[in-house]
Amino acid sequence: MKKVSIGGGQGFWGDSPDAAIHMVRHADINYMACDYLAELTLSIMQRQRLKRPEAGYARDFIGMMKEIGRDAKEGNIKILTNAGGMNITGCVDALKEALLAQGVQDYRIGYVTGDDMMGQIDELMAQGVTFENMDDPNVGDFKDIREKLVNANVYFGRQPMMECLDGGADVVLTGRASDSALFLAPLAREFGWKDNDLDQLARGIMVGHMLECGGQGAGGNFLYDWRSVPRMDELGFPIAEVTEDSLHITKAPDCGGLISEQSVKEQFLYEVHDPANYITPDVTVDISHATIRNAGPDRVEVGGIKGKPAPDKLKLSLGYHAGYKVVTYLPFGWPDAYEKAQYAADILMKKMRRKGMQYEDIRIDYLGVNALHMSLAETSPEMLKNLNECVLRIAIRTKEKKDAALIIPEISPLQLNGPPGACFFGGRSHVEDVIGLWPTLIPRDAVKLQSHILEVK
Amino acid sequence: MAMVYLYELAHGRSGDKADTSNVCIYARDPKDYPFLKRVLTVERVKEYFGDIVKGEITRYDVDTLCGMNFVMKHALGGGATHSLRLDSLGKSMGGMFLRMKVDTDW
Repeated sequence: MKKVSIGGGQGFWGDSPDAAIHMVRHADINYMACDYLAELTLSIMQRQRLKRPEAGYARDFIGMMKEIGRDAKEGNIKILTNAGGMNITGCVDALKEALLAQGVQDYRIGYVTGDDMMGQIDELMAQGVTFENMDDPNVGDFKDIREKLVNANVYFGRQPMMECLDGGADVVLTGRASDSALFLAPLAREFGWKDNDLDQLARGIMVGHMLECGGQGAGGNFLYDWRSVPRMDELGFPIAEVTEDSLHITKAPDCGGLISEQSVKEQFLYEVHDPANYITPDVTVDISHATIRNAGPDRVEVGGIKGKPAPDKLKLSLGYHAGYKVVTYLPFGWPDAYEKAQYAADILMKKMRRKGMQYEDIRIDYLGVNALHMSLAETSPEMLKNLNECVLRIAIRTKEKKDAALIIPEISPLQLNGPPGACFFGGRSHVEDVIGLWPTLIPRDAVKLQSHILEVK
Repeated sequence: MAMVYLYELAHGRSGDKADTSNVCIYARDPKDYPFLKRVLTVERVKEYFGDIVKGEITRYDVDTLCGMNFVMKHALGGGATHSLRLDSLGKSMGGMFLRMKVDTDW
């Protein structure tokens, strides 16, 4: 029976390339897909591109391809990735250059354009699209953020990536392809799944879902028993072996990590909302009756995945300017570390009031005490009194940049002007832009995606 | 009465979508799953998180996996870069959830 193997090579922009490199060189795979785009990534890439027109994509991918471009070609491993971000043609050009430098020949780069909807917003508004916030219709009116938009990208499904593979692409580069569609596209093409093969399409999406976060699907971030994960310094990323009627998750030979019922389970519902209606551009997935069972060492079998028709509309992710933010830190040591950190916060707040700082929101936390678990942190008076050290953290969000900047020069002087034992670290803080996210739905026919092939000879 | 951390009976992972946090919780041992379903009501979880989760909480059960998925809205201090929390993506929400104390005699 025909079997197709696909690996997950990257979990986010900034992930380690080690597992992907190992996988391409040592695992028996037909495809590798690399996800670089989290929710905010495109907004960050767009701002990079506005500063430098040649930027705006995941350069990490080019660095990785310099290592394994030739290996993948020789091993006939095709690679799919959304590394193109906000500058797909820039990414294509850089990849071409990297491949030529390695002497790789007869290479085809497939790429997909059309997910950037920024130029069509007004036209769609004129057609009556309201861009209501799909998470919470009560957060406000789209018109209030229209002029503050940074980027507008639509999540798309498998079709244009399959067209690239039809054109003989060795690598397929996209912008906002939905993470899991990078995995579904080659599987649907290999097995000839049609639009009405809903259960099969849903299986392909779940392959993507289990693999798209890289190491997190193979024993990374494993709450069940992190001590049981072998060789985290050589953590392998997950690989799916798919046939018409079976789905196994495994990993490359000779690497660390763990594939077990529990490690797959933790990833299985990660960032899913309703398990009976996990919505993607290709199919609505129902995993409410799914099964996960061990099927050998580092091998798990997943079943019971069902599909329902895809939604009528596509998700459009909008990023918009939402003001400014500054985060500062100041550590104190024993004695009275916590009390001194609290006192320093009080000094800083008095100074800010005197200087007339206007803010939208402010947050004061104490690292080592309650910065992560907040009001759920367990403390006692003895513990707080005897803390070895404590780091004051103040975070402020403002409308105006000048207000956020006010606190920055006041931190370092507290080493000499405040309670004893403060030590300044990390250098001066910087004012950061705040990007808000506004997810919404748009009609499918508003989106015109195009697939292209560039031959590198 | 035997009070234990939920962590002893369950495991899971938290994820984020904008200002929504989801935490999936699985029984470590399938025999504890009915107990977990009984004790982890939406009301109990809402009360536990208090001011940390400002919106609605929904629980979805996946009995075949002995698991539950809790979807918590307005749970990340505004979400994305809007949030002033150190853990703006709620990576530690899973650990916070499992820190809940439950009474195994209940």
